Amino acid sequence: MDEYMGFVSIDWTLIFTWGNLLILYLLLRHFLFKPVQKMLADRENEVKSMYDNAEKAQTEAEQMKAEYTEHLQNAKAEANELLQSANQKATLRSEEMLREAQQKASDMVTRADAQIEEEKKRAFQEVKREISQLAVMAASQVVEKEISEKDHERMIEEFIDGAGDAKWQE
Amino acid sequence: MNGPKVIFTLPIDIPPFGQVKITETVVNSWIVMAFLVLLSIFLTHNMKKVPKGKQCLVEKGYLMLQNLVKNTMGEDKLGFVPYIGTLMMFSAVGSLSSMTGLRPLTADLNTTLGWALVTFMLVQVNNIRRHGVGGWLKSFVQPVPFLLPSNIISEVANPISMSFRHFGNIASGLVVTNLVYTGLAALTSIITGGWATVPFLQLGIPAVLSVYFDLLASCLQAFIFCMLTMVFVSMAMDD
Repeated sequence: MDEYMGFVSIDWTLIFTWGNLLILYLLLRHFLFKPVQKMLADRENEVKSMYDNAEKAQTEAEQMKAEYTEHLQNAKAEANELLQSANQKATLRSEEMLREAQQKASDMVTRADAQIEEEKKRAFQEVKREISQLAVMAASQVVEKEISEKDHERMIEEFIDGAGDAKWQE
Repeated sequence: MNGPKVIFTLPIDIPPFGQVKITETVVNSWIVMAFLVLLSIFLTHNMKKVPKGKQCLVEKGYLMLQNLVKNTMGEDKLGFVPYIGTLMMFSAVGSLSSMTGLRPLTADLNTTLGWALVTFMLVQVNNIRRHGVGGWLKSFVQPVPFLLPSNIISEVANPISMSFRHFGNIASGLVVTNLVYTGLAALTSIITGGWATVPFLQLGIPAVLSVYFDLLASCLQAFIFCMLTMVFVSMAMDD
């Protein structure tokens, strides 16, 4: 004959219920919940790290872009500066050359003027001497008087000097 | 209507409680536990980063449970997910085991009372952990001291109402199903004048009732029991 418990009764089964619940809790936690939790956490971490990496790469790229833009701008400014300074130098140099040329030209003119003056003076002396000789010769012929050629020459030269200075001036 | 059958009796006799009897309920619990553990091992075996097939199912189920706990108890109490999950599966599968012809675990008051007392203990322990012994004792004289008896009664009534609700639903299903089977057997012999040896009317008709008494009631009661556990425990831990 089978033995039955009461339909509504509290007995040893209560103790077994607690034991069974605890055992099942520990087993399911170990075999079901922990593995699933770990899997989900792992996946979440992986996705997160992927996003982090992507973000980092983007930041780096943006930084590099900014750097390059800056470099480019610097290079442009430098080139501009170089061009400007070269221009300036060229202008200065051409001005200097022009000035030099002018100087040289004016020097040449001055020198030429001086030479002309010298030539003129020399020619005048020559003419003066010849005229004085001629005058002595003529005087000796006309006067027929013995006279020291040297004295005469000096006298005439003095005369011509006195007159010529005013007359031959430019 | 009988209670659970005694499968065997341990040769241990502890005076006021009598001999330790292993009943159908306990043996069926072991069967359900073995089923759940094997199912878990099968479901979590060889899991991959990219889920496929059964892994999608188990992950979806886990996330649904986690969301339920998060929405009911709050973000900071996700540590209860394994216990709530265990309770829900144990209760649901324990009740649904009636469909395989086993006597459902939850048609035994010991099972549901045991679980409800665990909930009761969780409530008290977490209340003490959150508010200290003084705060826990003070919560019984809130909002006014003369409510002390009513507060104690309401606290003690929780496990009783929880356990009897669950037990009553499943046990009544068991009783109704038994009645229907017995009635149909009698009806068969009346209709055929005792001629039919096979009670063929038992085929099909009880299945319709089973949709409510076994399927619906089992899942519903498991859900209600877990919801109440979550609400009571989180109420004890909050405010």
